[in-house]
Amino acid sequence: MSHTQLESMRSDYEGCSRCSCCKWIPHAQIMSWRYAKSCPSVDRYNFHAYSASGKLNMALSIIDKRSQLNDAVASVIYRCQLCGACQVSCQNYRDDIDHCDSFHVMRSTCVQEGFVLPEHLEIIESMKREDNTMGMPKAQRSDWAAGLDIPDINTQKVDVLFHAGCRYSYDEGLLDTVRKWATFLKKAGINIGIAGRDEACCGGRAYEIGYQGEMKKYADDMASRVKASGAHTLVTPCSDCYYTFKYLYPKNSLGLTVKVLHTTELTDGLLRQGIIRLKSSEPMTVTYHDPCHLGRRGESYKSGWSGDVKLMRPVQFKQTGREGIFDEPRNLIKAVGGVELREMERIREYSWCCGAGGGVLEAEPDFAVWTARDRIDEAMATGAEAIVTACPWCEHLFAEAIKEMGVTMKVLDVVDLLDMGLGGE
Amino acid sequence: MAKYPELENIFGSERVETGKRALSEFAHDQSFVAGKTPCCVVKPKDTEEILALVRLANEQRLSLIPCSSKPPRFRADTVPSVANAVMVDLSGMDRIVRIDARAKVAMIEPGVTFDQLQNAAHAQGLRVVMPLLPRKTKSVLGAYLEREPNTIPKYHWDMSDPLCCIEIVFGAGEIFRTGSAAGPGTLEQQWASKQAQKSPMGPNQTDFLKLVHGSQGTMGIVSWSTVKLELNPTVQESYLVGMASLDELLGFTYAIVKSRYTDEVLILNKLDLACLYAQSPSEITKLAGKLPEWILMYSIAGYRDLPEKRVQYLKLDIQDQAAKMGIVPVQNLASVSAVRVAELLTHASQDPYWKLRLKGACEDIFFITTLDRSPEFVAAVNEEARRAGPDAFQIGVYIQPIQQGRNVHMEFNLMYPSDDAATVKKVKALHKALSKRCMDMGGFFNRPYGPWADMVYKRCPDTVSALNKVKSIFDPNRVMNPGKLCYE
Amino acid sequence: MLPENVYKELEDILGAENVTQEPAILDSYAWQPALNLLKDAWVPRPEAVVLPQTTAEVQAIVQLCNRAGIKCKAFSTGWASYSACGSEGVIQIDLRRMNRIIEIDEKNMIAVIEPYVCGSQLQAECMKRGLNCHIIGAGPNCSPLASLTSGWGYGWTGLYTSYSNRNPLAVEWVLPNGELLQMGSLGSGCGWINGDGPGPSLRGVMRGWGGAQGGLGVFTKCAVKLYPWPGEEGAPKGMRGMMLDLDMETPKLHKLYYIYSPSYAMYAEFAHRIANSEIGYIHCKLTTGGFMSVLMPRAIKKIMKSKAIRAAAKALQHCTSIALACHSEREFVYQEEVLRKIVEETDSFIFDWSKLAPRLHDTLLWLFHRSIPPAMIFRVGGNFLTSFGANEMYDMCVLGCEAGEQLKRPYIDKGIFIEDTGDNTWGGIYEGSSGWGHIEECAMYDLRTSRNPEARFDYLDETVKVVQEKTLGFSLASVGGDSYKYLGPLMYNYHLWQSKIKSAFDPNYASDASFYIPPYEEVVKIMEQEDKGRMFGATRSES
Repeated sequence: MSHTQLESMRSDYEGCSRCSCCKWIPHAQIMSWRYAKSCPSVDRYNFHAYSASGKLNMALSIIDKRSQLNDAVASVIYRCQLCGACQVSCQNYRDDIDHCDSFHVMRSTCVQEGFVLPEHLEIIESMKREDNTMGMPKAQRSDWAAGLDIPDINTQKVDVLFHAGCRYSYDEGLLDTVRKWATFLKKAGINIGIAGRDEACCGGRAYEIGYQGEMKKYADDMASRVKASGAHTLVTPCSDCYYTFKYLYPKNSLGLTVKVLHTTELTDGLLRQGIIRLKSSEPMTVTYHDPCHLGRRGESYKSGWSGDVKLMRPVQFKQTGREGIFDEPRNLIKAVGGVELREMERIREYSWCCGAGGGVLEAEPDFAVWTARDRIDEAMATGAEAIVTACPWCEHLFAEAIKEMGVTMKVLDVVDLLDMGLGGE
Repeated sequence: MAKYPELENIFGSERVETGKRALSEFAHDQSFVAGKTPCCVVKPKDTEEILALVRLANEQRLSLIPCSSKPPRFRADTVPSVANAVMVDLSGMDRIVRIDARAKVAMIEPGVTFDQLQNAAHAQGLRVVMPLLPRKTKSVLGAYLEREPNTIPKYHWDMSDPLCCIEIVFGAGEIFRTGSAAGPGTLEQQWASKQAQKSPMGPNQTDFLKLVHGSQGTMGIVSWSTVKLELNPTVQESYLVGMASLDELLGFTYAIVKSRYTDEVLILNKLDLACLYAQSPSEITKLAGKLPEWILMYSIAGYRDLPEKRVQYLKLDIQDQAAKMGIVPVQNLASVSAVRVAELLTHASQDPYWKLRLKGACEDIFFITTLDRSPEFVAAVNEEARRAGPDAFQIGVYIQPIQQGRNVHMEFNLMYPSDDAATVKKVKALHKALSKRCMDMGGFFNRPYGPWADMVYKRCPDTVSALNKVKSIFDPNRVMNPGKLCYE
Repeated sequence: MLPENVYKELEDILGAENVTQEPAILDSYAWQPALNLLKDAWVPRPEAVVLPQTTAEVQAIVQLCNRAGIKCKAFSTGWASYSACGSEGVIQIDLRRMNRIIEIDEKNMIAVIEPYVCGSQLQAECMKRGLNCHIIGAGPNCSPLASLTSGWGYGWTGLYTSYSNRNPLAVEWVLPNGELLQMGSLGSGCGWINGDGPGPSLRGVMRGWGGAQGGLGVFTKCAVKLYPWPGEEGAPKGMRGMMLDLDMETPKLHKLYYIYSPSYAMYAEFAHRIANSEIGYIHCKLTTGGFMSVLMPRAIKKIMKSKAIRAAAKALQHCTSIALACHSEREFVYQEEVLRKIVEETDSFIFDWSKLAPRLHDTLLWLFHRSIPPAMIFRVGGNFLTSFGANEMYDMCVLGCEAGEQLKRPYIDKGIFIEDTGDNTWGGIYEGSSGWGHIEECAMYDLRTSRNPEARFDYLDETVKVVQEKTLGFSLASVGGDSYKYLGPLMYNYHLWQSKIKSAFDPNYASDASFYIPPYEEVVKIMEQEDKGRMFGATRSES
């Protein structure tokens, strides 16, 4: 069988030197034995094939017709959160391999050739049926906003379109968080609106699990809603959606015409402009977890270069992960008086993944929780009372892991601290 | 008619000795081990003769006992364990073949002694890394091959230091050169390209030197070796620290060794220091009576670049360190001058050999451990000695940091009068008991001489099995020093 | 495919989840382009891959291989072709589940580690305790255990932290026949403190200048010498960034300089004087050309067309990086004064990064201490090989620099290697006053665009011959390759002795020896053949 898509990334696969740097956080930053690893997949399943390098090697093996794509291989490919830590580590030393793009191609090939996971199919079915990844009725999409009196863009123009995302829209455990974000922005004087029950999935999850064609429909819908809203800015509290808007859409020539911001980015701007002021709260020690899709993978897609020899690609077109959203949430946390931020060892570009991404939460929930537990361990090692993050997927999984571990650590969103800084008003 | 015509073919009759007296000298040494009388002594003068001898030994199944030092000898490694062995007396091969002053390397034959090499080294601004006052007749190569510890731990990077490369005739009857001496190229070609046979590793993926190191002459006969020399200090200061208990010296010793601030560093008990320093038994006893129980001796030095400044900062830093620990380094302790001790350390022992000065005989127990464990061993040895009861023997203690402080060579010197049969018997029993006790406590007897071999090797059958494989390769007919170590 | 019963037995030993013979997964162990002296970046695919977690499991695997007549080959972190199976039909033992630092004895400067502890991890834990470990030039991604027991082993800090051959203490070793050997003090029940004896040191069997590259059993635990990390601050604090964007608080008494000497003769003299002065923590040759290639991989070819720039790079090629790391302010003042004196007396000039570019100084200092820059060689082409690099007096090593440059130039001009001005040399003096060291000549290429492995091997052949002709020692490329066929007879038949060791310790030939040496009888047969094949570029596909 020819593997045209896989073949398109041959140069990336062949570039791998098999140094295994993809398995470790950037070496300059390793500060302990315990928190040196970067890749949940190979850390959990151990065979080299599970590492970024190993996946590239397997893809090359397949296009070199040395082996076949089959269920076992597909399983390796799917047991990966697409967190991108491998790419950061590898590209720390070199410029010519784009791991995440390679993985997308591998997954797409799996789907095209029928190597799909039932759990992923359920996501796709749900998206097709209800426009969300959660298997929930479309009609309940805006229930989270009940009573908040947020304008509906179907009826009025707004400056800022607030996109809650699938998990925030339906996960009852996170209801409070999304409501706080919307309320906070409104109180800060931002003219936000929501798409109500017309809000749909961004499509990013479909893309990541290999159904790349599915994303276009959602991107088009999103573009129409943005247009209809009259907004100049699209803001979302969901890191996954943010990444989809910032990276996947433009990479696939589906870029939105408005500014896209994560809620922490927008709020940090307000703080710096003096539009909001935060007061002191009860003393609290927290640590911050960088969501992969807000941090390293939240970096805007760097378009403008094409060519086959990536060695010759100027570095400004390289997705290093360095331009993701790292400082903004930290600025907000530090702005809340009484809150002490203690950093974990693996942070920013080389943060350890929560475990939820890439369809792993749905297809391999044990692996997802295993990954989250490692992060909670790391958070606890800082002595912090709470792990703060800025992504519903991370929050959801951390809560589960903590429950399983039987430890006492709070999971907070940045907005929870903002809320405290505002005195819970 | 010649008694050993084949040997005489190789050596000529004048270098094949069969006189009873000469032979009986080799049948024993200063240790308790009763050896067998050899059948003859041969005195090679070069590698070719050694090669011919080893090949002959293989043909005729002769046993060869290589021996580089002149008597008095200790530790029984050169005492034949089997009858009718051929003693290979290498003490006459005593040329310093070459000193490369820039590379700080000497190429020496087996019979070269420490003072001989030291004098040659000093003439070039260099020095030999010395063991603790070796006896005058001690072969440099013999000491280094047998892992005799040296007194400057900062230069002791690895156990084989300061040995570099060797030329050896393996028991199998083949010449070999280890490390970078293996080539490619002749020695002359290597010298021309600025090599000095300094790298001890290899060649390639086997470390042949390590297989010979510590082998008590059971792998082959070394015909020359290269050894590292170091710069001779141009400025040096030496200090003594006396303490009533060994524990009080440990922290400070760790600190000065770890930082590599010091040249010579060693700890002695008062008896050993007195034996080193004084000559006669009465002087020794008198001096020991004045000294604190434990004495740390160290030197600091400057070499060619800003030597005074080097000594100055080392002195001040060490003073600060000492002050923090409540330690007072001094240059004179009782009537012992640190400078004089340092001088003594640069040469072989004056006669009588320092270990024999007090009682006329000495039997050592030595092994490897870590400095923090040294007080445990001292306590155990004292306890055993007490149990043996008051007697005519006395115990000196020498603790030498090696491998830059990771280990210490721990040595107990049982000094006793050899003419008192009852004491000899008691010391012999005590020696065995102490050895066993120290082994049981985890002392690593890495140089298993004489009766230790059985005691040591029964603890590590895996090592025995591996060593036998090695022996079968390099000395398949077991012609080299049979009966030593652990070979079947 | 393994016989069903063998596979089943492996599953019984390890659990089904730790054994695989899925072809694509196996192929992830067969892609080894780095330092690959074979014809193809695809090396022979293992028959199965297994993931043991304990020494007992390793023993059971090796014993099974002996019984079943199957070869095995272990690796730790697994970088470079010699980690991989060298022939078909070999079980690859991936030791990544054996990943513990078992002990750090701070006082006696000893750590005990398992195979899958990487250099960064060990160094990080050491620095918390005021200690450091030797990290090899290949980088901190590599396993110190593998380097100590089985690889080569020079790193940036070799001046202060020695060389991998010299750094192991006691070792736990599953021999090729499945028996356990506890080498040194460990076997005598005396802990991990010493690797030599009782009697002859079996470290000599374990490895030489180079290691057996997995061809002589499996090393499961190893005690390693640690070294002081001077100062009280430990590792740099408050670190941000990842590479050249790093920002940190560097320990006070640590500093990095570049020294430019006017000629190779003075460069060698400078090194000689540094050794004699007993100062410094890092001494390592840098190459301006190599450095420029790494920093400007896209522009280097064009830039180097300028005669002026080429001349400038040439003029700056006699460059040493030297780092001081001192225990006290006084020591620092002394060492810096000596350094400046030597610089002056060797007509060299000193480039004090801390004054000229403080932030870059801190970054470079840390990258060197952690041995990170070599990984950046990937930026240029993704692959490299190395040559020359014999270990002897540094004066000799320096002689190789110009020879290497001359040899490599035509290959660069032909596009076989990527432009690096020809001088891509690296290496320094080891062990303080010893004055010995190595300098290797690297060559970079992109496997994707340079599909002419024969030419690379021609270069290596030439280097080995030149090294021999000029008596420049035993080159790095000759370790573990097929060059024993040519060099062995010139060097007291070391290959025959080595092969006898192989035969004695591996009677059933169960350890894949493709990067070591075949058993004695096989070597004898090979030596009897008139055409011994080539030194490099063999095709290894059959067992």
